Amino acid sequence: MNRSSYWLVLGLSIPAFIWLVPTLWMVSLSFQPNEVLARTTSSTFFGLIPLPFTWDNYAALFSFGQTPWWFLNSVIVAVGMTLGVLFVSTTAGYVLARMEFPFKRTIMVMCLIGLMVPEQAVFIPLYTMFADFGWHNSYHALILPRMAVPIGVFLMMQFFRAIPKDIEEAARLDGVTWLRIFWYVMLPLARPAMMTLAILTFLYAWNDYLWPLVSAQQREYFTITLGLASIQSNFAQSEGLGRVMASGVIASLPVVILFLIFQRYVVQAMTVGGSKG
Amino acid sequence: MASRSRLTQTQAAWLMLAPFLATYALFLIYPFFRGIWISLHDWNLLAVAFNPDAKEFVGIRNYERVMWGKNITWSLFNAPVWQALGLIGLGLSVFLRRMNRLSRFNAIALAIVSALLVFLPGFHPGEGGRWYDRRFWPTVGNTLTFVAFAVPGVTISALLLAAALNRETRAMSILRTLFFISQVLSVTVVTLIWQIMFSPRQGLIANITETFGGTPINWLTDQQFAMAAIVIATVWWSLGIAMILFLAGLQDISQDIYEAAVLDNAKGVRAFWYITLPNLTRTISVVVILQIILHFQVFGQPHLMTQGGPNDATQVLVRYIYQTGFRDSELGRASAMAVFLFLIMGSFSIIQFVVGREKD
Repeated sequence: MNRSSYWLVLGLSIPAFIWLVPTLWMVSLSFQPNEVLARTTSSTFFGLIPLPFTWDNYAALFSFGQTPWWFLNSVIVAVGMTLGVLFVSTTAGYVLARMEFPFKRTIMVMCLIGLMVPEQAVFIPLYTMFADFGWHNSYHALILPRMAVPIGVFLMMQFFRAIPKDIEEAARLDGVTWLRIFWYVMLPLARPAMMTLAILTFLYAWNDYLWPLVSAQQREYFTITLGLASIQSNFAQSEGLGRVMASGVIASLPVVILFLIFQRYVVQAMTVGGSKG
Repeated sequence: MASRSRLTQTQAAWLMLAPFLATYALFLIYPFFRGIWISLHDWNLLAVAFNPDAKEFVGIRNYERVMWGKNITWSLFNAPVWQALGLIGLGLSVFLRRMNRLSRFNAIALAIVSALLVFLPGFHPGEGGRWYDRRFWPTVGNTLTFVAFAVPGVTISALLLAAALNRETRAMSILRTLFFISQVLSVTVVTLIWQIMFSPRQGLIANITETFGGTPINWLTDQQFAMAAIVIATVWWSLGIAMILFLAGLQDISQDIYEAAVLDNAKGVRAFWYITLPNLTRTISVVVILQIILHFQVFGQPHLMTQGGPNDATQVLVRYIYQTGFRDSELGRASAMAVFLFLIMGSFSIIQFVVGREKD
């Protein structure tokens, strides 16, 4: 490392630290006793160092309260949505990339138009629809409306288009059916794109707020994102600041860990999703 | 093998498309048209839930009740600042196009936006008139204010950071991760953190100001600062994706240009100004449009941090739709606003699509 880049790193460390402070503060508060926090939030170095230290907030979260249950709901919804989106997007993406059939262009154009409809513009009709079906307060109500994502189809379509045709054509000459080619030849090749799409969907599902807020009115069906919103408005009175912060940390752990492990895919997903979606 | 019945290509295609088409039609296309249909009815959430026939077709009256008023007139000097800005924009679009400094598309886009800026703020209630819905246009205004601060805030800081971090060393990649990590948090975690950060009694910001002898600001309950607080939290939250897009754009600029520029003594800030920026215009417009679409739909931050207050200062469009629909049970009016939202989002999506295509 030469001198100038040494200074650059040093100079950037300060804003980076400031950027990290809010998150650090949340983590630090979650390890401090509620009685202390009720008095002051800046015990040691503005509260950024968790002294006095306690595990009680986390212990309390798991012994009573609904946080573990909400966490589980989030896992179910996020995993369910991810699998659903993968299934729907890979099949449709493959068909649009490789097969010829009547009305193909119409469907592509329809997908493009679908990209323009924001969820905020359809959440009211979706609500009345699901109410008619009597579907609210269930896992499928939280999962299904998010499965029809044209962006996933486009992502997979672009990936399949980039795969050389030879492999498939050899298989076709041997008389292998389309479904088998898709399942045994194309899907294994598509793993990197599927990873990207899966992570994008999981992050989205975990952090989704508006639709769960509208659809899940019973606390048993809250996701962790929604549950956290329901306890934060009265954090000071009932729950204790330390415990609410501990919930926040628990709610963020899966996505942060996922991000740290699969950083490359997340960045790729954001780039593709961002510039195309 | 030959005896086994086999699907033709068309059959196989439709079979594999079926899951997507079914979910797409059921959960996106149908709700979209149903939304328009609801917006044409006087539709009370609770009444219709008990009796499906309790809705009444009212045509465009919901739109009128939301957006229009009694004795609405138009004049050029109603909102002089905005309208003057619009006129300047109109002039610029013609001038820059003549000078060939703008592509035809950008010139048309600028002209349309400017014309709207002249036209829309000109409406106001005349003598003895009033808006039917006093809160709607101020809410749209708040949303635009939020966009007007959040988008440049995110774009400029992300651009500077990306330019500084565009080096393939271990330290730089760690720094990039640190700046990005807040992006993966959920809106409720972000608002949880910032609500307490901004708290005048317990907040970190207040604690630090007090240590240095200042008086803490009531960020979230002060009409002057509430929107600023939400913008700060939003910039902190959503800087990452813009930074990533800029980094991707920077990768496409050839290193040779910079090396050649060093010979002309263009380094650092000058290189950024004369090489990086001109080569990044397309990425910048993609990021800006993307951010406009994203932030126009802002909901969670004001909903959780300020509940739209104080005194409606942070009430935004999606939150108003949510409240009209689910607190006031007025689904018809809420849907009319949702259609309005869609029209704005849709036009930006079209711009985004065209800009995205321009390079190809």
